[in-house]
Amino acid sequence: MEIPYVVTPRKDTGLFNSKIAIWLFLASEVMLFGGFFSAYVFLRLGADYPWPERTLPVLPGLINTFVLIGSSVTVVFAWASLKMRKWRHFQIYMGITIACAALFMVFKAIEYNVKFHHQAVRLSDYTVVEGHLGYEKENGEYVLDHHGSKIEENQILIESSGVTFNTVRFHAPWVEELLSQASHRKARIRLATDVTGRTAEGGEAVTIAKAGEPLSIDLLEKIKEVHLKARSHNGAVRTAALRSEWKKAKAENPGKKGWEISSSVNIDAKALEESKTLLSEIPTIAFTVEPPVRFDFKPRDVREGEAQSRLRDDTVIDGKLLASPMVFHYVDAIDFRHLAMKAVEKGQDPISAVENSWLIKNHPFAREAWEWNKGQVAKLEAKLLEDYGVDRKTGLPKREPTAKERYRMDWKDFVAMSDGVDRGQGKIAIKEEFMGPDYKGRESSKTFPEHFSLPREQVGFASKFTPAWNTYYAIYFTITALHGLHVIGGALVLAFYLFFGRKMYDTNPEWLANRVEIGGLFWHFVDLVWIFVFPIFYLM
Amino acid sequence: MADTAEAVRKSIRTYLFVGGVLFLGTIITVLVATVPWLDVGHHGFDTWDAVLGLAIAATKASLVAAVFMHLNHEKKPVYWIFGSGLVFVVALFALIGLAKNDPIHDPLFYGSQSTTPAPMASPTMR
Repeated sequence: MEIPYVVTPRKDTGLFNSKIAIWLFLASEVMLFGGFFSAYVFLRLGADYPWPERTLPVLPGLINTFVLIGSSVTVVFAWASLKMRKWRHFQIYMGITIACAALFMVFKAIEYNVKFHHQAVRLSDYTVVEGHLGYEKENGEYVLDHHGSKIEENQILIESSGVTFNTVRFHAPWVEELLSQASHRKARIRLATDVTGRTAEGGEAVTIAKAGEPLSIDLLEKIKEVHLKARSHNGAVRTAALRSEWKKAKAENPGKKGWEISSSVNIDAKALEESKTLLSEIPTIAFTVEPPVRFDFKPRDVREGEAQSRLRDDTVIDGKLLASPMVFHYVDAIDFRHLAMKAVEKGQDPISAVENSWLIKNHPFAREAWEWNKGQVAKLEAKLLEDYGVDRKTGLPKREPTAKERYRMDWKDFVAMSDGVDRGQGKIAIKEEFMGPDYKGRESSKTFPEHFSLPREQVGFASKFTPAWNTYYAIYFTITALHGLHVIGGALVLAFYLFFGRKMYDTNPEWLANRVEIGGLFWHFVDLVWIFVFPIFYLM
Repeated sequence: MADTAEAVRKSIRTYLFVGGVLFLGTIITVLVATVPWLDVGHHGFDTWDAVLGLAIAATKASLVAAVFMHLNHEKKPVYWIFGSGLVFVVALFALIGLAKNDPIHDPLFYGSQSTTPAPMASPTMR
């Protein structure tokens, strides 16, 4: 059967069918991306923290823009080549287009990867410290965890004497991790007391597990099975008891509505207990740790407390919370913008707020960087005053340093500081523009502080540069990831025309040209979205 | 299809020209955002930078739509379909205005904090 209107236009629309279809799709795409861009504006206008403007590295973004615009040109040329029946040219241009798409995704992957490995910490006074976590000894060696691998994440350390598992919710990999840590530190986790209970209707309580049995997943599973069986059995027994109570009440009060007698319908819990029909439910299982040893937890898995902490699977860890500082192996930015913003909101002087902050008082490097930055801001103020003068009406300088220049010191500033030059004049390698600072290479010049410890109680919020860090990164990842998916989808379709189009070219070249035009329209749309993404996210 | 091989051949130069303009536009966008003496408005990013940056982006986008996507010589249904999508986007952005100029907005409802969202840009931050 021949598909109508793939080459010849329909009389009513004047277009071949797939063109109408792609424009319908593009109209819905415009609304989709329009929704996200308006969400961006909402988030930016409503942000209660200093919006991280001009924070992404411009060079990779710029190259990606060139790559995408270039591919947009070549996809038009590929279509034009088909129109002029030049198969070889079509292959070349389409090949370049797909290569551009691949290059774009490579840059995007690098950009994402750098963010996913970059740590940010907001202190309780709203100072923000950025860098890389890692536990490191004085002699420069890493502290390893009990598996022998580098600790690159902040850890919550608890000296534990007892662990209580939730019978139903315990998470087996975490149990194994606890066992592994305990055995490494030569401690044993044993059942605290006998687990006893009635396991059969009418029977007496039996011992399910004896005190002193070592912790194992099998043991937990065994108790879980008993518990779940008892729970479902008891549910059925209670329902049956309730049903018979209702029957009795209805018989005693003929003609009355259910709601009128409902308050008098109750299960006789005591009688039920004495009838020995209920089985024993064991909702939690307690273990002792002998001798008490340290356990390490990931912060996201544990809600820590002074004497008792709780894991996300409801496991309760008894024991003392040890000092669990966040240790930065490299610090590559110190940002006081949020702190200054809070000070201004409270009517305080932001400069003295910064100088009284915990970080400035406790870290010589932060102090040094701040003093350097103050010098740079003074220089910039003088230069702006010289270049642009004073506003006659207000008497204030026409141009002043931005909040970012006043309150944020990033890795490029640290490079300039260690090079002994002014801001923006430090030597940055091209590779560093893409991948972030070359920490190892700059170790000898002590550009980045290698050991920077933040006590647990000073940490307000910590996250990698993921959507969790703030709404800026949330909308950045949403829009760019959605755009990236479009790039992949578009490239797949275009690649299909390139690699499987020859047969159609030989039989009906105009049809293939129309198909490529449709694929091209989508590709231009992807480029069009990026034309807005680039300035909005990288330059504003 | 109205695009004959001959018409396409004639358009090649236009496509190249538009491609060149897009590259140039991108460079200009970066320059006005990074070179201090090309900075419009105040020092650093402000409303005028946003307006200029978006104006350049809108120009580039229009060129792509008009020339690469052939919207400069398309049939009527395409304009209707695409236009109706655009209407909703414009309406969405209009909603932002509604939120910012809320007729029953009460600043004290959220506490006594300042309602201006960008104290960072204010000259009091010195």
